[in-house]
Amino acid sequence: MWCLMPSEGSLVFRRIKFAAVTAIVIALILAALPALAASAAESAPETAPIAPVSMVSLTDTPHDGGTSIDITWRVSPTEATNPGTVIEYKIMRADSPTGEFKEVGAVPVTTTAFSDGSTLPGRQYWYRVDALSLTASVSSETSGPAASIMQWYNGDTSVLILVVFSCLSILVYIWIARRKVGQVFVRRIPALDAFDEAIGRATEMGKPVLYIAGGLDIDDPQTVASMNILARVAAKVATYGTRLMVPCCRAMQMSMARETVKESYLRVGKPDDYREEDIRYLTDDQFGFVAGVDGIMMREKPAANFYLGAFYAESLIFAETGFSTGAIQIAGTAMIDQLPFFVAACDYTLIGEELYAAGASLSQDPVQLGTIKGQDAAKALFLVIIIVGVVFSLLNKPIFYEWFSVH
Amino acid sequence: MSVLTKISNLDRRIIFLAVALAVTIPLLLPIGFPVDMSEPVQKVYDLIETLQPGSVVLMSIDYDPSGAPELYPATLSVMRQCFARNLRVFVIGMWATGVPLGQRALNTVAVDEYHKEYGKDFVNFGFRPGGAVMLVNLGRNIYDVCRQDVYGTPVEDLPMMKDVRSSKDIAFAITFSMGDPGSDQWIWYYHARYRGNLATAQTAIGAPKYYQYLQTGQLVGLIGGMKGAAEYERLVNVPGLATVGMDSQSIAHMLIIGFIVLGNLLYWREKRNK
Amino acid sequence: MKRQLPLAIIFAMGVFTIVTNFIPAKPVADVNQMFRNWYLGIITFFTFLGTINLAKVNVERTRDRSRDWQYSIILLVALATQLFLGFYKWSPDALREGSPFMYVYFNLQFPLEATMYSLLAFFMTSASFRAFRARNKEALLLLLAAVVVMLGRVPIGSSIWDGFPKVTEWIMSYPNAAAKRGIMIGIDLGLISMALRMILGIERSYMQ
Repeated sequence: MWCLMPSEGSLVFRRIKFAAVTAIVIALILAALPALAASAAESAPETAPIAPVSMVSLTDTPHDGGTSIDITWRVSPTEATNPGTVIEYKIMRADSPTGEFKEVGAVPVTTTAFSDGSTLPGRQYWYRVDALSLTASVSSETSGPAASIMQWYNGDTSVLILVVFSCLSILVYIWIARRKVGQVFVRRIPALDAFDEAIGRATEMGKPVLYIAGGLDIDDPQTVASMNILARVAAKVATYGTRLMVPCCRAMQMSMARETVKESYLRVGKPDDYREEDIRYLTDDQFGFVAGVDGIMMREKPAANFYLGAFYAESLIFAETGFSTGAIQIAGTAMIDQLPFFVAACDYTLIGEELYAAGASLSQDPVQLGTIKGQDAAKALFLVIIIVGVVFSLLNKPIFYEWFSVH
Repeated sequence: MSVLTKISNLDRRIIFLAVALAVTIPLLLPIGFPVDMSEPVQKVYDLIETLQPGSVVLMSIDYDPSGAPELYPATLSVMRQCFARNLRVFVIGMWATGVPLGQRALNTVAVDEYHKEYGKDFVNFGFRPGGAVMLVNLGRNIYDVCRQDVYGTPVEDLPMMKDVRSSKDIAFAITFSMGDPGSDQWIWYYHARYRGNLATAQTAIGAPKYYQYLQTGQLVGLIGGMKGAAEYERLVNVPGLATVGMDSQSIAHMLIIGFIVLGNLLYWREKRNK
Repeated sequence: MKRQLPLAIIFAMGVFTIVTNFIPAKPVADVNQMFRNWYLGIITFFTFLGTINLAKVNVERTRDRSRDWQYSIILLVALATQLFLGFYKWSPDALREGSPFMYVYFNLQFPLEATMYSLLAFFMTSASFRAFRARNKEALLLLLAAVVVMLGRVPIGSSIWDGFPKVTEWIMSYPNAAAKRGIMIGIDLGLISMALRMILGIERSYMQ
């Protein structure tokens, strides 16, 4: 028997050995194939086909200039069966159903809406939504045509009504005030009573009056309101012969202040007392201006300080430095962040819109008084709206709230 | 003069000295009060966590060096979170004196810490004048407003800006603001027209005003003052200047409360004596 | 004519801006956009106006030897230096770390401005000692709220009682927000009336 087995060194033995090894390797590979296929399927789900999105809907974006179309769709069913397969949606647009589709946007897979903001009014477009995976892309059916329509009204009816009512009430009361001069009642603002007291005190002590018109330029309504008040203060100061200093932080504010004060001095018949050098521009820089004004306060020691206009962080620095010099201080600003500092540190404060009302109240000008009354009428409307809105909310009726939502 | 009268006429300089000590000593001898979290700050963090990598975050640097102690740490922390999540950051500013601050924040975080590439991962367009009008234009077409970056590179040559054209391409906007122009303009002009996710970081003085916008949903979150910045530093796990400052702020607040109580005790005693 | 023309321009632009806010149609929107672009062009020049004015005023002070004219020289030298550092040949690199521009900004301007702002801490403390008095029940309530908020806004507050931050957030979200809203409605109505008076030419003080 032994003589029938080939010897180890022979050619036949080597060939048998090679065939056996090959057979074993092939068998192992065949056994591993199903496992490899299974793991390949797990790690590369993208090889599975993806289903297109459906129900692509096209609507003109409301309340716009005709340059937008809203596209919505239902998610690809693949998201339910194989989450994570679809990675994004691309929105494609063409000028005809058979034309070339170009991409106009892409959204993540969690989004099922898109606004195409590059359309031309009246032009027809066709859309499709492509669902993309890592290796494949599938398009939805083509939807269309849709055209964006140019609207001439943006639907902000609630805002429109409020704006119109506010403006009308102001204009109506101005008209009424002009017809009934001297009969328009505006309550006296307590801080205004202190103006005469402050200027009188400065006159008695022989010290100057310091007036700061705020940190913004003449395009700001607070600065304009401050200039109105400055005119009255300058007239009073000119009458008593007290020195008035007006450091400014804007060049144009300085020009306006100079003209205002000069005119006041002219009006009371004291043009020679006007000192232009006391109304000067320091710097635009906020804290540079603060440093300059503080220096003026410490050197000149004014007896009355007026801070009327738009202020920022410098408000408390002014007020405390003014207090340390022993001045009586009257402030007024519409900057709600700074009001607490002025209220705490100054003797009298005009709060918010009282600054605007102060000019009217001091001048007794019917136009300005009528404006204040008109504002009050508009405020009454806001109060009614707030109360009605609260009632509707408590009754769980969102219709009122929705009507006031801005589109 | 009685002791109480002397105290009620306390020289301001003593008060100033007390404040200086209250702020300085905790900086030299840290106490380490734990920073608690607040909901408005958490909302900002949570929103950024939901953004997909590659999303664009617009950061508006609307402050100058005077607001930097409160707002610069918040800027750094938000940037850290953005770059850690591989978001793309687009920096502008409505305050000219804030541009170097924004640039330093980018140098510190984007370049030194995260090794991001300028033009691809972040861009800085610097100061954009015009306030509200600029914002209206920005939301409509960024290229109209940002013609070139701070280095003079045309916007068309910046790879990151190829697919960033309008407010629709901006996933989240946050303004670091301390005055005008600032958050008000962002809310009234940008968000009112273009909607989207908007948050703001404010100085402590300005923060109370923006709670009303949080309530209405016009802001998704609010980082208020140095405390807000310290909370954000805790969220991104990188303690910085704001966290260091919390001890000083705590002691200073206690000092102010002490002075208020003392002042009122003296006032009531005086009133009673009369 | 000197008065009428600016008034007419203000009226036309004001009314147009208000009306076009409600008209999204493209032809109107395009005109609105054109006006916005003009505004941006003009405002860019305004950015320089402040600097030019500042230089002009201080040059005049130096020339006339007005009071403290020496400080005007310091200002002019500082202005010129920073402009030079920003515009010189390395200007594209002015914002790179280590540049002379950034060095001056962070070592001079930054500490100066931060210092000025930090004065508020001192003044706030002296104001709180001097002026925060509970003169009546309302003032007492205000003071109590202020103390709670001051404690809630710093870590020591939550160390003392973990309710302080929650109460603080409630105060900020409800009473504070309501009060701010009320004041803002009033202020914004004042703004509307001022703007309306300017548009209609009733308010002309800015034209002086």
